[in-house]
Amino acid sequence: MNQINIKRTLLLLLLPGSVFLLFFFVLPLIFVFTESFHGSTGELTLLRYTEVLKSKQFHFVYLRTLKIALIVTPLAVLVAYPSAYIITKMTAGKKSVMMSLVILPLMTSPVARTFAWIVILGRFGLINQTLAAVKVTSEPLRLMYTEGAIVAGLLQLFMPIMVLTLVSALENIPEEVEEAALSLGSGKTGTFFRVLVPLSFDGLIMGVTLVFTGCITAYVTPAILGGSKVLTLSTLMRQEALVLMNWEGATVIAVIMIVTTLVLYNTLRLMRPRSL
Amino acid sequence: MRNNKLFTAILILMFIFLLGPFLVIIIASFGSETIMRFPPKGFAMTWYEKAFAIKMFRTTFLISLKTGLAATFTALVMGIPAAYAMVRHNFPGKSKVELFFSAPAIVPGLVVGFALLRFFIYYTKMPVIMGLYLGHTAILFPYTVRVVSASLRNFDPSVEEAAVSLGSSPLHSFIAVVLPNIRSGVIAAFILAFITSFNNVPISLFLTGPGVSTLPIQMLVYMEYYFDPTIAALSSILIVFTVIIIQSAEKVLGISRYM
Repeated sequence: MNQINIKRTLLLLLLPGSVFLLFFFVLPLIFVFTESFHGSTGELTLLRYTEVLKSKQFHFVYLRTLKIALIVTPLAVLVAYPSAYIITKMTAGKKSVMMSLVILPLMTSPVARTFAWIVILGRFGLINQTLAAVKVTSEPLRLMYTEGAIVAGLLQLFMPIMVLTLVSALENIPEEVEEAALSLGSGKTGTFFRVLVPLSFDGLIMGVTLVFTGCITAYVTPAILGGSKVLTLSTLMRQEALVLMNWEGATVIAVIMIVTTLVLYNTLRLMRPRSL
Repeated sequence: MRNNKLFTAILILMFIFLLGPFLVIIIASFGSETIMRFPPKGFAMTWYEKAFAIKMFRTTFLISLKTGLAATFTALVMGIPAAYAMVRHNFPGKSKVELFFSAPAIVPGLVVGFALLRFFIYYTKMPVIMGLYLGHTAILFPYTVRVVSASLRNFDPSVEEAAVSLGSSPLHSFIAVVLPNIRSGVIAAFILAFITSFNNVPISLFLTGPGVSTLPIQMLVYMEYYFDPTIAALSSILIVFTVIIIQSAEKVLGISRYM
């Protein structure tokens, strides 16, 4: 094939997807973005931003959302690292079984997955019934509609993502590296922390990025487990738009959500050793 | 070896945390009371009967099914050629195109749904169902490109080159040689994309209107008004279906490789 032919083929292959995304993804986003800088008569203004940024409720919800992400992410790393390590050491068949179990929470309907936590944390749920049976508490504890409930739900959703990224990162480390460290006298613990963790650091940062940004934008988990009592950025945005019909406010929150994710995404990318 | 024992214990605890809730909800769905209690009192199939009897669940299930199939199909039709171009060719600006193609997976779904509502439904007066289909297609596109790319990378290009050098046209060799060889990748992409669409909430949340809603959204609406275990029954059905699909897809295709 000559050069011109290759160019034409490439264009034909890439065009449908690109045009589709331009029209049905980029265009609406640009519309909302420009809309957020316009006042009621169409003049350019930052009024919508100042209004949201002044609001005490917004500050509170924004910080709470970050706090939840800051709790969930390290917990996910702490559990996922050892688990991923054990999984990479398994035989191919066993590993496949483990991986299919790990991805189950990711593939299950988020409503179904989150509803299960109501059965565990509810007034007559597993935890309260157990506490009542062993007579620790006389009154059922309020576990639903708390930040803790949201943390539990998000952890179940994002742990699999962390395990998946860490398994593929650890798999890329040749077996000999670990053996060499061990035979040179580095203990099991030393090898893990001083050899395997640094060598899989790139995967770790990737997992942290996915989990952290995921926590900030997650909707179903805070909607069911936090409700209107414990709002996060995404449930606040939904409330502004669909309950209070405050489109201006919702638009600004949408833009702030994207900016926050992009800033986090790029900051964490700088930490990657082999950043692209 | 002390280290491995501790790590194995963590792995087991993680699985209890990840999968335990599914077991709990399935058991609770057979309770006979109108409140969610665990362990449940009595045994009944009442909530399953109720879940099937509610017309809105049946209607929205069909909308979810149709939207999922249509969006998955469209995303694959655009995603397979795109993946082929990305894997087989090098061109200036390739990494930018790659980023552009993965953007719908990076931008929060809630924002995408909101933007589609503001622009297409309010501004251009597009029917809601159309917006739902387009929004789902947009977020499925990155999945199809990623999964099909992964399977194309495992397919030796020299086989295809041989077909071309023997006189087969590029298009014909793609259909006759490449496509059959990446079949399992395409099927994996189909399954992952369909499940993603069927389960989606953030995009669908804003794209509902009179007579148009998806099953997950309808379940959320129901939960706002009723506290009975109907949703537990419906959730259990969805969980069991997901387990069956994922386990068989793992056995046949090794689907977790593509995640």
